[in-house]
Amino acid sequence: MNDTKLRECFSSVLGIPIDQVTDELAYNSIKAWDSVGHMALVAALESAFDIMLDTDDILALSSVAQAKEILGRYGVSFDAA
Amino acid sequence: MQLEGRAALITGASRGIGAATARLFAAEGAPLVICGRSPETESMAARLRATGARVKAMLGDVRDEGFVKQLVQACRKEYGHLDVLVNNAGVLKAGRLGMIPTADVRELLEVNVVALVQLTQYALRVMDAARGPAIVNVASIAGTRGTEGLSAYSASKGAVVAFTRACAKELAPKGIRVNAVAPGYVDTEMMSGLAAEDRARIVERIRLGRIASPEEVAAAILHLASASSRYVTGQVLEVDGGIED
Repeated sequence: MNDTKLRECFSSVLGIPIDQVTDELAYNSIKAWDSVGHMALVAALESAFDIMLDTDDILALSSVAQAKEILGRYGVSFDAA
Repeated sequence: MQLEGRAALITGASRGIGAATARLFAAEGAPLVICGRSPETESMAARLRATGARVKAMLGDVRDEGFVKQLVQACRKEYGHLDVLVNNAGVLKAGRLGMIPTADVRELLEVNVVALVQLTQYALRVMDAARGPAIVNVASIAGTRGTEGLSAYSASKGAVVAFTRACAKELAPKGIRVNAVAPGYVDTEMMSGLAAEDRARIVERIRLGRIASPEEVAAAILHLASASSRYVTGQVLEVDGGIED
């Protein structure tokens, strides 16, 4: 469930189909995920999961896989792939 | 009302300029999150709630990044977003050159600069460009002109001025306005320790002939926070009664 919620965040903020939101999707790999998109993405993730990320974690959030790992530290669990 | 339904976060709101700003914003219809280090913050909130205002008080130190996050989360939880951030919390440490303890320098920079930068960064995430958000930083004429006997404090407030101008440039494309007030001498606790003759010497240098009230600075903050300044960003408004250098 959290996996779907996470992928929906990426999909809606970056404006890409949900099936393109793979673990490998990375920062700056598509035009929409630039620095502006990154902040919008952080806001969407924080709102969806009711958390507030540390600034260092925002800087480290460079892929979907990384996002799962970081959100895990905030108590958000994801099914193992 | 100038801030009807505009959620605002005010730091250092238990007394002085912060408290006056909280009172004015509440009277202008803003739902508030206020914070301070002293328990007076809660009694301040209780007084405002008694007038019908929506106010959440949080006790803590803005140097604590965890507390900063809690403040912003509270804005989101209570009001869904943040429209106005007033970065008012600050400390003043006097000392002539050669006599300034390193601990004082660090505290000035930690509270007046580092905490302000951190809170701004977190606050941005809950600001919605479509709602015309605004940030108002409380600097000082010490930061715009430099004040003898307050060199380290001047440095910290100078950083607030530069940060304000840089933020304004960076955030204008995102629809967020950033301005600062630079008060001169204000009738707050920081001034209460002055000897009568020192106070008189200060007043002599003020063209309007008196020290400001916190409410007069709050009025300038309200102007920069509200739609009356919707085309103003990157400005530092000196609220100093026309003080001579």
